[in-house]
Amino acid sequence: MKTVKKNTSSSIPEGFLQEIHKIVGKNGVITNLSDMAPYLEETRGIFVGSSPAIIRPKDTLQVSKIVAMCFKENIGIVPQGGNTGLCGGSVASGELIVNLERMNEIRSIDAINYTITVDAGCILSDLQKISEENDRFFPLSLGAEGSCQIGGNLSTNAGGTSVLRYGNARELTLGLEVVLSDGRIWNGLTGLRKDNTGYDLKQLFIGAEGTLGIITGAVLKLFPLPLERQTVFVANKDLKSILKLLSLARNCSGDTVSAFEFIPRIGIDLSLKHIPETVDPLKDKHEWYTLIEFESGSSESGLDTIMEMFLNEALINNLIIDGVIAQSEEQRHKLWFIREAMVLAQKPEGASIKNDISVPISKIPEFILRADKAVKKICPGIRPIAFGHIGDGNVHYNLQQPLDLEEESFMSLREALNRLIMDIVQSLGGSFSAEHGIGILKVPQMISYKTKIELELMKLVKDTLDPNNILNPGKIL
Amino acid sequence: MKVLVPIKRVIDYNVKVRVKADKTGVEIANVKMSMNPFDEISVEEAVRLKEAGKAEEIIAVSIGVQQCQETIRTALAMGADRGIHIKTDEDIEPLAVAKLLRALVEKESPELVILGKQAIDDDSNQTGQKLAALLGWAQGTFASKIDIQNGKAEITREVDSGLEIIEVNLPAIVTVDLRLNEPRYASLPNIMKAKKKPIDEFSIAELGIDAAPRLEILSVEAPKQREAGVMVDSVASLVDKLKNEARVI
Repeated sequence: MKTVKKNTSSSIPEGFLQEIHKIVGKNGVITNLSDMAPYLEETRGIFVGSSPAIIRPKDTLQVSKIVAMCFKENIGIVPQGGNTGLCGGSVASGELIVNLERMNEIRSIDAINYTITVDAGCILSDLQKISEENDRFFPLSLGAEGSCQIGGNLSTNAGGTSVLRYGNARELTLGLEVVLSDGRIWNGLTGLRKDNTGYDLKQLFIGAEGTLGIITGAVLKLFPLPLERQTVFVANKDLKSILKLLSLARNCSGDTVSAFEFIPRIGIDLSLKHIPETVDPLKDKHEWYTLIEFESGSSESGLDTIMEMFLNEALINNLIIDGVIAQSEEQRHKLWFIREAMVLAQKPEGASIKNDISVPISKIPEFILRADKAVKKICPGIRPIAFGHIGDGNVHYNLQQPLDLEEESFMSLREALNRLIMDIVQSLGGSFSAEHGIGILKVPQMISYKTKIELELMKLVKDTLDPNNILNPGKIL
Repeated sequence: MKVLVPIKRVIDYNVKVRVKADKTGVEIANVKMSMNPFDEISVEEAVRLKEAGKAEEIIAVSIGVQQCQETIRTALAMGADRGIHIKTDEDIEPLAVAKLLRALVEKESPELVILGKQAIDDDSNQTGQKLAALLGWAQGTFASKIDIQNGKAEITREVDSGLEIIEVNLPAIVTVDLRLNEPRYASLPNIMKAKKKPIDEFSIAELGIDAAPRLEILSVEAPKQREAGVMVDSVASLVDKLKNEARVI
């Protein structure tokens, strides 16, 4: 675990927190160390943060007042949502943490416009639920959905399991409300699907990890509620046949594929070993598996027939060896649980180095082949677990420690291993961070793999929107 | 031994059921339907009996609309040999179901009828018992273990006080409980094979049964919404609320 080095923000003047108190009320400020702990620690335990106080505003006006005060006194702020990020983007190093959890109102839902307007602190799963109660579907879905907040999802341009059909957080956003670094409020909460009036400002703040402004509200796209899903879990002999299977699935289904996830055998083995209630639904063991889901807005659309035709075609062409079709929602949940359990099972199995990369879909087999070879060369016995959203070209290329190696000696290889992997990613025209963002963790890679002109442009944007460098300093750039 | 497995098509266990606006029933249009989970367990048990060499043929039966054939196909994909579909668009009450099943038992002469202890839509828990009474057969209800040897079935039943073990002579009716087994997934090759297995169709009239309803549904209501809880700030105020508002102490 490393303690994050302190950034050069000035210390807090006397009476400052009392003033903040007046703005946010008695439950709005946390300074007690044990109550602060959940806001300072991050999920993986790689970083430990520090902060003089957690500020929890209740509305946009309060955020605006707090930011204006910090701007005046030159005090750093870390905007925070559910604190579930994987790269340390919400970790404070002496800055004030402004957590939006108390801003959790659904502002309005417009079923006819297929939009929902929300506070940034709404929990993702609440948003999904409320949409569903209104016969609408909000497709963003990811592992942390029970605790992550929509503001964080937008600030990190979250991906998840339904990107293939619906796009990532950016593509689901129609409008934003943002508090700028001097405290002014930009109200861009339009629910328009067409609006070509100059620069599309909201795009700057999406994926900016809170370094350009604090997102306080958003208008998001909704979709018709899928009423039928067909979920299958199939075994494949190699990655090339999985790619062919993906294109067959998209062709056969009229592009209603909503998920296409690949899983290696070692993932199943680890789940069976560590996670209770995991089952291997197939009789024999296979190298690779895919979890495929088709989706339709009607329960009478013949989706089951389409799925069976697709599978039949795939069997004839030897793209799948065996498989099961979920016959009920219960079975569907169990098949998805295999995918989720694999992530959980990596922790009890020892140290794991995680990578979240993307390459053009067609290059995935080459990437995995080359990466496996390279990492095994410098660390014999290493166990790569490559899985993820193959439909998006997104591979979670995690490296599990060898069984006969000390955790520490394995972790000492971390930088060398990552360097190898990232060089391969770069040579294939990929990205070193597909959906997890930059935070603190991947700042060094920004410098290595982004071009000079990209970094200059980003710096220009940052200096313009946050001239005092008070918004999430030290992140991304 | 021939085994008859009656299965029911119901609203999927994970679907949030909504009452129709006119209160005549629940909304089933555009709702995901699946096999009654208790019936999945009975199909699984029948398939295991066949795999153990104790059953020769498994017949899956369903009563209801055309789409019941999808439910029968699921049973066939799990390992049943053939299907019988008694087609009707009407709601059939448990007594009429039992009479229709009796007609099939007389046609097919199975030695075992194994079915879910109840369906999760109406929770009646009547069909197995009524069928046993109509046929004059032995019955073992709420089975969590079944052992078939020499024309007898030893059945472990889940009862309030624990487990009860009984022995019944075959032919018999067995209704199954949740803990009997874990139903398998329908594998791809078996789903493809299931398409070629036969499903016979009958109408209620062909079986000569009067299936007219004996009950009239007056109204279907959604359960009352629970009021949100409140946080109390001290033990004293909790005691006060329990005493004066809830009046439980």
